[in-house]
Amino acid sequence: MTLAFTYDLGSYVAENWEFLLKGLERTLLVSAIAIVGAFVIGAVLGAARAHHIPVLSQLAGVYVEIFRNTPILVQIFFLYYALPQVGIKLDAATVAWLSVMVWGGAYNTENFRAGFEAVAARFREAASALGFGKLATFLNVTLPIGGRIALPSSINTYIAVLKNTALLYPIAYEELTTSALQINALTLETWETFTVLGVVYLTLVWSLSAAIRLVEGRLALPETR
Amino acid sequence: MPDWVEPVARYMFEVGLRGTLKIAAIAVVGSTLVGVVLGTLITIRFWPSRWLIRLYIEVWRGLPIIVTIFAVFFLLPTLGSQLDFDPFTSAAIGLTLWGSAQVAEATRGAVASIPHEQHEAASALGFGWVGRHTYVILPQALRRLIPPLVGLLIGVIQNSTLALVIGARELLSTAQQSVDRLTAPPAFGGIGEIHAIELYGAVAVVFFLICFPLSRLARFLEQRLVV
Amino acid sequence: MRRLLAVAVIATFALAALAGLGMAATSGAGPDASAPTATPKKPKLPPLPREVRQRKRWIFGVKCDAPPFGYINVRGENAGFDVEIAHWFARFAFGKPNRVSFVCTPTPAREPALTTGRVDAVIATFTYTRDRDTRIDFSRAYYQATGRLLVPNDSTIRSAGDLSGKTVVTTSGSIYDRWVRKCFTNTKLVVTDNFTNALLTFNQKRADTLMWDDTVLVGIAAADRNTKLTNDTFLALPYGIGIKQGNVAMKRWIDSRLEVMRKRDLFYTILRNNIPTRFVAGFSRNILRPKVTFGYPPADRPSPETVCP
Repeated sequence: MTLAFTYDLGSYVAENWEFLLKGLERTLLVSAIAIVGAFVIGAVLGAARAHHIPVLSQLAGVYVEIFRNTPILVQIFFLYYALPQVGIKLDAATVAWLSVMVWGGAYNTENFRAGFEAVAARFREAASALGFGKLATFLNVTLPIGGRIALPSSINTYIAVLKNTALLYPIAYEELTTSALQINALTLETWETFTVLGVVYLTLVWSLSAAIRLVEGRLALPETR
Repeated sequence: MPDWVEPVARYMFEVGLRGTLKIAAIAVVGSTLVGVVLGTLITIRFWPSRWLIRLYIEVWRGLPIIVTIFAVFFLLPTLGSQLDFDPFTSAAIGLTLWGSAQVAEATRGAVASIPHEQHEAASALGFGWVGRHTYVILPQALRRLIPPLVGLLIGVIQNSTLALVIGARELLSTAQQSVDRLTAPPAFGGIGEIHAIELYGAVAVVFFLICFPLSRLARFLEQRLVV
Repeated sequence: MRRLLAVAVIATFALAALAGLGMAATSGAGPDASAPTATPKKPKLPPLPREVRQRKRWIFGVKCDAPPFGYINVRGENAGFDVEIAHWFARFAFGKPNRVSFVCTPTPAREPALTTGRVDAVIATFTYTRDRDTRIDFSRAYYQATGRLLVPNDSTIRSAGDLSGKTVVTTSGSIYDRWVRKCFTNTKLVVTDNFTNALLTFNQKRADTLMWDDTVLVGIAAADRNTKLTNDTFLALPYGIGIKQGNVAMKRWIDSRLEVMRKRDLFYTILRNNIPTRFVAGFSRNILRPKVTFGYPPADRPSPETVCP
């Protein structure tokens, strides 16, 4: 049986590695920006929700429900294709990090809220008994402990953010997946393209998950170890 | 209501929404069947099968779903013309691969959480491995699976929008086609007006109306079942 | 009386036989077309490829967003120059113009649709290039297109030489994609996976110019008074019908019918059906006509999209 294709990974990589590397750089850069942003959003809004801060807590609740119950691709389309109708024209690079950051932030808000709420009441009472004010309690007790409780779920969100950068293909932002598919359109070396994509994404995701499991062990609370 | 709304709405609902629900239905059923089986089999202490199933789970959860869908659409046909699936089916297959990995992992956790006494009692009553799992273990495990399964349904429905990139007609792609057609000048079949916000907003609203109740349901079930 | 009846019966049979022979000649199909029949008639056209004959309809890949060659009209039907050629092929094969199904194949989907056998052939503004010829086969050339630049009226771009530092948008996998990537390293290139998105990118001013085939861009410039085409042309490469590599029967059939259409000046009729009257004269130089034939660039010179200006 002759196969309907040829396979030459070596020359594929040799010819295209610069372009693919640039795509990978963009994937990592967009993910990094979005992860930091999602962390900040999650911590701040999660705290607002956990502490039931008036107005902010409700607004955060609406934000969370909207962005968790609509597909991220619809959010990307809205930012890139719909906003120009009211005069807000964001370029593809901006939509790239903004969309995944806002999406990740919504999930992270819930992660941190659960983490903060799980901080045993006795820790917070101990803190106020020691004379810590509300903010000080939060910064010194709730955030460190709640953040570590939220670590597994928030790391999963960050990994999802990395994977969702591949969804920037429809707006032609040249991150890794888009770059690889553009090469595929010109050369039709489909098997080589997907080998590269598979290897790169799985390496990234698997090593991140493994690294996080290591860190989780170190950062876990003493009583959960 | 302006003239353009009616045909567009009809197109988006009759073709688009139906497409979304069809893809989602196939993917959920497929994911559940395959995932429950794999998740149960992985508990067998036989390292080759364990390793293979673990590989399956980690690969399809680790890849972005869009890459999986593209691979099914572009790569499979090169292995044989019977494997040449249309955009619809390719998207459903891609979503099933991802969904089954999720369900397998959840099933593994659920089955592993059944106390050992249940296995021992069932064996004492004369059940073999298959009988034990079919009549004793899985019914209990499946109850614990319901919240994750609702979560899977939500995930599959939302990710069905990825079928757009290979040309399937689901809700988002029909919205995009409608926006593009309306924006074109009358010579090309449009009306020269941009209605992107209305149409993409409508898509967001429809997904929200479907997913929000489901996520409430999942939360409710989770609280009920965590005894 | 009986003699009259006998004559009538014989006459009816004779007429039926003649009609049958006539139909067989025009459709070019037959159960075993290679076996010579008893009655001598003019040389038979190549027979319809088996898979199409068995299916009893054609499946063509066409553009769905590139007027006037392939687009969806207000009634939701496929329409355009390429689409009409497909309907003529259905008439030649089956006697009925609607024995054809269409699959939308934007630029990057055309070759995969052929190699996987998803479509019988691709009639979708498919420019011939030697590179593509290594992976698929092309019919004879049927349309001469050149590349043009669509720009806003106030643009400073006058030709492909002014592209340095500008942003160009085109479709992924097109000859323009390859050409700009190779030759215009100072130009930012945005590629989209179909023409609609490329046009949208240009209209939303995310790119300074849209580079594509003249035929489609002329229609757009005509409809949108804020845009125009620059005067220069480049990458003159004809369209061909894409065929799966090695499918000799298909190529023979398609080439023969294209020749029939050329001799009967059918391309001029199709042109008149699909573009505004004021453009017909200009574009009639680009189609096959009884007195106009063209082919692909000769093999001894390098392919235009690999040559930098």
